[in-house]
Amino acid sequence: MEALDLVIHTLPAMAKGAALTLKFAVSSMVFGLMAGLVIAIMRISHNRLAAGVAQGYVSLMRGTPLLVQMFVVYYGFPDLGISLDPTTAGIFTLTINAAAYLSESMRGAILGIGRGQWAAAHSLGLTHLQTLRHVVCPQALRLAVPSLGNTLISLIKDTSLVSVITVTELLRSTQEVIAATFQPLPLYLTAAAIYWLLSTVLTRLQVRVETRLALPSVH
Amino acid sequence: MKRFNPKFKQGLAAALLCVAATSSHAADLLDTVKQAGVLRIALEGTYPPFDYRNGEGQLDGFDVDVAKAVAARLGVKPQFVTTEWSGIIAGLQAGKFDVIVNQVAITPARRQALDFSQPYVYSSAQLLQRENDSRAFKSLDDLKGKKVGVTMGSNYVDLVKTVPAIDLQVYPGTPENLRDLAAGRIDAAVNDRLMLGYLIRNSHLPLRPGSVVPGGDDQMGIPFRKGNPKFAKAIDDAIESMKQDGTLKKISMQWFGADTSKPVTQ
Repeated sequence: MEALDLVIHTLPAMAKGAALTLKFAVSSMVFGLMAGLVIAIMRISHNRLAAGVAQGYVSLMRGTPLLVQMFVVYYGFPDLGISLDPTTAGIFTLTINAAAYLSESMRGAILGIGRGQWAAAHSLGLTHLQTLRHVVCPQALRLAVPSLGNTLISLIKDTSLVSVITVTELLRSTQEVIAATFQPLPLYLTAAAIYWLLSTVLTRLQVRVETRLALPSVH
Repeated sequence: MKRFNPKFKQGLAAALLCVAATSSHAADLLDTVKQAGVLRIALEGTYPPFDYRNGEGQLDGFDVDVAKAVAARLGVKPQFVTTEWSGIIAGLQAGKFDVIVNQVAITPARRQALDFSQPYVYSSAQLLQRENDSRAFKSLDDLKGKKVGVTMGSNYVDLVKTVPAIDLQVYPGTPENLRDLAAGRIDAAVNDRLMLGYLIRNSHLPLRPGSVVPGGDDQMGIPFRKGNPKFAKAIDDAIESMKQDGTLKKISMQWFGADTSKPVTQ
């Protein structure tokens, strides 16, 4: 029961860390979804330049480690005269990274909507953007949710990397206690349980969204 | 002792890619610090008894006390920033903080990138063994063919590598390293002489100190960005005066029961 006492004693410190983790995760989810949508639309547009820029962006963001991106934004940008505080730098990096993955899920879903929908919308006189907004995207969202959920759950755990830019989030606050108590296993397990809890809450939300978006005819 | 790890190198390489070398601060760090009235001090916060969070969640430890004393001599307030070792030197170079007080060993390689204060701690590497293990390893040569554990990024990795016949095991942290030693999966661990008493007392593991490793001497200093001659003079004077009036010895006796402010004479 010694381990249990330790965990209970440690919970306030870890709760503080978990609150920070949640702050980073939720902010970068919201911004990431917005940025992801913009990138997905650029990627499928007929404008070669926009599509090329989006493609290059996705390639760069998915092809380099998040840790390196974090380093460059926080420690490298000051040399270009851009000095961000740890919170801004962390949320910014997580956002630009997640946006690349999210945009690919969205692109796949948009492409999954039949050409007939586009043709029908155009024949009704809707412009390209109107078709996206009112016809294609609402249907694509239903297809995209499971895959978006995947990325967002990964994002919760990716937040642990902000510890390299001086943020004492959940995992780092756990390590601080481990360093002082020499009890890695119970404390890491507790941290894991908290991450799992956060992911479970997100999964529940995802199920609710899916239910809302489901077609009445689908059971 | 202390520490360069692969994550750090990876990140540093990336940071350097977008750095156009020389930075723009023309003013000496001393002027900047005095003007702000604050010395920004980086440490890990996970490195007891040097710097760690105590039961109340406050930063505590030998390096914390030293840093506070240094800031006081400079006539400014200390402001602590905790960060992972892997980002700590990049953060110093990017100007996120002014100094690191975290048992940074003075090495020729680091001197090329950073300036150091005069040493404020003299220490050396020492072995740890299981309490019931009566083998007496006198030096690294005695450990040929044996398994020796060290913490990732510590300069003991390089020290142990000088004897290639040793089976080196690298651990993410000291607690994991010591647990494996107690469990009998490795023959010995190498750590900072100053940490041994603390580690054995607080880990509640059946361990005992082994021999001091010959050739494993270390001098710890306070690093800061290059090109700040006024700051260099000020911090050296601060440490010198702390040595002269016994402040440094007092802090050292309090944490280690020994005077670490002078080279070991054995």
